[in-house]
Amino acid sequence: MAENKFKAKEQAFKELSSKDKTKKIIDLLLNNAMYIIIVLAVIYISIKVPAFIKLPSIVNVISLTAAKLPIALGIGGCIVLTGTDISAGRVVGLTACISASLLTTTFKVFPSMTSAPPIIVVLLLVVVVGGLVGLVNGFSVAKFKLHPFIVTLSTQLIVYGIILMYLMNGTNNGQTLSGLTEGYRSLITGTLFSIPTATGSVAVPKYVLYSIILVILMWVIWNKTTFGKNMFAVGSNEEAANVSGVNVSKTIMMVFVLAGMMYAITGFLDGARIASANANTGLNYECDAIAACVIGGVSFVGGIGRISGIVVGVLLLQIIFAGLNFLAVDANMLYIIKGLIILIACAIDMRKYLVKK
Amino acid sequence: MDDLNQEIKQQTPPLRGLYSKVNISVKTLNIIIVVLVGLLIVCMAVGISKGGFRVTFDAQGGTTVEMQKRMYGELIEAPEPPTREGFVFDGWYLDPGAAIPWDLEEDTVTESITLYAGWKEK
Amino acid sequence: MEKQITSSDSKNVLLKMEGICKDFPGVKALDNVSLTVRAGTVHALMGENGAGKSTLMKCLFGVYNKDSGHIYLEGKEINFKTSKEALENGVAMVHQELNQALKRNVMDNMWLGRFPKISKWCPLTSEKKMYDATKEVFEELEVHVDPKMVMSKMPVSQRQMVEIAKAVSFHSKVIVFDEPTSSLTEEEVEHLFRIINMLRDRGCGIIYISHKMEEILRISDDVTIMRDGQWVATRPAKELTMNEIIRLMVGRELTNRYPEKDNKAGETILQVKNLTAQYSQLKNVSFEAKAGEVLGVAGLDGSGRTELLENIFGIATRKEGEIYLHGKQVMNRNARESLANKFAMLTEERRATGIFGILDIQANTTISSLPKYKKGMLLNDKLLSESTEWGIKAMRTKTPSQKTQIRSLSGGNQQKVILARWLLTEPEVLLLDEPTRGIDVGAKYEIYQLILDLAKQGKTVIMVSSEMPELLGVCDRILVMSGGRLSGEVSTKETSQEEIMTLAAKYA
Repeated sequence: MAENKFKAKEQAFKELSSKDKTKKIIDLLLNNAMYIIIVLAVIYISIKVPAFIKLPSIVNVISLTAAKLPIALGIGGCIVLTGTDISAGRVVGLTACISASLLTTTFKVFPSMTSAPPIIVVLLLVVVVGGLVGLVNGFSVAKFKLHPFIVTLSTQLIVYGIILMYLMNGTNNGQTLSGLTEGYRSLITGTLFSIPTATGSVAVPKYVLYSIILVILMWVIWNKTTFGKNMFAVGSNEEAANVSGVNVSKTIMMVFVLAGMMYAITGFLDGARIASANANTGLNYECDAIAACVIGGVSFVGGIGRISGIVVGVLLLQIIFAGLNFLAVDANMLYIIKGLIILIACAIDMRKYLVKK
Repeated sequence: MDDLNQEIKQQTPPLRGLYSKVNISVKTLNIIIVVLVGLLIVCMAVGISKGGFRVTFDAQGGTTVEMQKRMYGELIEAPEPPTREGFVFDGWYLDPGAAIPWDLEEDTVTESITLYAGWKEK
Repeated sequence: MEKQITSSDSKNVLLKMEGICKDFPGVKALDNVSLTVRAGTVHALMGENGAGKSTLMKCLFGVYNKDSGHIYLEGKEINFKTSKEALENGVAMVHQELNQALKRNVMDNMWLGRFPKISKWCPLTSEKKMYDATKEVFEELEVHVDPKMVMSKMPVSQRQMVEIAKAVSFHSKVIVFDEPTSSLTEEEVEHLFRIINMLRDRGCGIIYISHKMEEILRISDDVTIMRDGQWVATRPAKELTMNEIIRLMVGRELTNRYPEKDNKAGETILQVKNLTAQYSQLKNVSFEAKAGEVLGVAGLDGSGRTELLENIFGIATRKEGEIYLHGKQVMNRNARESLANKFAMLTEERRATGIFGILDIQANTTISSLPKYKKGMLLNDKLLSESTEWGIKAMRTKTPSQKTQIRSLSGGNQQKVILARWLLTEPEVLLLDEPTRGIDVGAKYEIYQLILDLAKQGKTVIMVSSEMPELLGVCDRILVMSGGRLSGEVSTKETSQEEIMTLAAKYA
């Protein structure tokens, strides 16, 4: 069946005039420019540093993808609503700091505490905190009709201030939080399963599993619930959604709250993953997440996007950054490269939906 | 059915309102994309050719230690330990508070880092 | 196929399009189409939606590149790349959907992109020159609009006049009118026709695209009819009758423009009392509607027709007034409440408030009735596609599949999808605002049939329309609005267009 379709397409292509042919090829090249660059870069890197395509490196990329996925899944919803969320990284930082300050053996932030609360309580707490920040964002966007950029810019600053003050609490004095409890660390970074190799074995951490669960959860929410359908409707045409009986404000608020919760989970995972948390944890995560979404086909046009696209976007981005890291590219240059990737992704997205003449 | 879909998709001009405020032709956009892609490749090439992570040492009041340049996954060459009046040097740490130690024999470089000297009072 | 008429003197030919072909992959959108417009005539271009009228015009304006064929303007071959180039060369178009800077005033819109300078040496924009020039054009066209008025404060009809004035101010030789009357009242149509006649007398060539037969026969000199991307006939308007045009357009005889009315009105189920709007001029409107009845709402543009429906449905703020359904008061404070109270509303602006363009037919059909398809916590795909399938079948929507984006359908089919959306909510009262706007003749008939079928099932249909014959053909009773008030209520059987017009002008 698929082959038939392919043949039919090939046939149709052959029938085109040469002018149309070049046009079509250019179209194809430009619309997929991002993927082409990444594939070329990966080929180059794997030739230069063969370790890049060895198992440990692949597992590393997958783990990194898993770590960055929840935040991208959250931001994806905001982009479907034609919005964005730049407070994401700071929320990750705040929730990572809260997790690291509670699930610790040193209790620098709360000197009066003697034992760590149950992990599940901390998880619920950070999810509520993330959800609250999301609610503030969502409420302002839905009710004041402020642009999400402005709203999340202000919450970003507020959350950053809260992180700094939180870290000054107790005897911590703004220092990096570490000394996490064993239970917390092993729950997140413990070995899910090991893959034996010639030189030992490579462990896949448990948070990969959690990410997969979150992806499935978000897929169900996006595709199988009233809320998901309403989200796409609001993203596609807010006015029509209102007339059609969709509760527009509630939908917008829920998208942002859900996003906030996703950031909180990212922070919770990140605290244990990095084994420490400080004021700079989560810095610029939102840039990676937005870039990943746009590369994965979630369009700023609104109402367009798929979970599978987001997963692919995050994966591609992590591959390219892991690769550049292998070549020891300077972090400063990485910022420029990240910025360019976002620009190119947006330009390509625009090219796809621009009025064609 | 899919083919019919495809046909319809190609016939209909995209909705107004999709990037309604974008004021640029596809041709210009093509050029922009190509230029940006070119820039990206140049940046990557420059980044790769100048590859190497900087490992700087902050002696925190002790004698200065020279920085090193390392590739991905390499160990740091053990530098001459710094000295400081009234203190004993007790190794390198990832943070100024001397909480996360850096093991010179085990830990490999994966990014540009600054290591901080840890000091114990005599 | 009939032979194309040859003009008595070929010198007179202003615009000649010859053998225009345009292929979209897999579809021949235009197949060897020719069009000859003589100076000083109105040339009507007719055909069902999708017949290729717009594609032909887009080829003229360079929006699309034609595959083959030639276009001559006053004997010189032309090939415009952009509509700006066309405008500068004397070919202008008044669009069906207006593209205007709504937050700016009239003259800014008129002179957009070519603001007059104070002098050659002072490159500042001269407000005065602009004002005077605008005033001059307006006086010429008898348009009574203050050039300093902000566009968004003006009704659609006046905004359209501004668009026409803009075309005139370019000294255009060929002006294309694309469905100019779809948002105009009869009086405004008269004014438009006076302007068109004036332009014709000046020697302009006018291409007039419309679905309204009466207008075409009244105003045009020649009529070209297209069907399925092909040229069918070009004849003098004098030789054509309405039925003849329809026959040529659809390729078959359409004996009746309106389906047979066989719905029976039952008991009164809806009562509206003293409805007054907070932010519009709607004032003190009271009426009753029966089950199984089609109630029309007539009135001039801006008479409060749309506002009436919006207030009943709760998408505009109500100041006072009560709505009773089955004797029980319903609040209808917003669309969700109205939906729960078994109301449904088809809005006037399909594109702006009706369709979700980039979403597929399924999403567009089921959005208002999503809770119905829940099994446990989640939506059931099978139920979703079954309902959509029902919607497509019941409305006879022409679509390749449920997963087609709605924006790729024609206006009529989009309207059917939205109707299906509302029917799936099982409403008792259907509020339809201009249900047939921008829809071709064949599809209109089907929409009328659907409306009557709904009434037969005992639903109350309240329908706003600016096309009088349509109201007379479909409705049982007609409410006439004027200046935000209800100026009368007439029974379709005992009234005439004249009576309705008089009522409509009562408080205007």
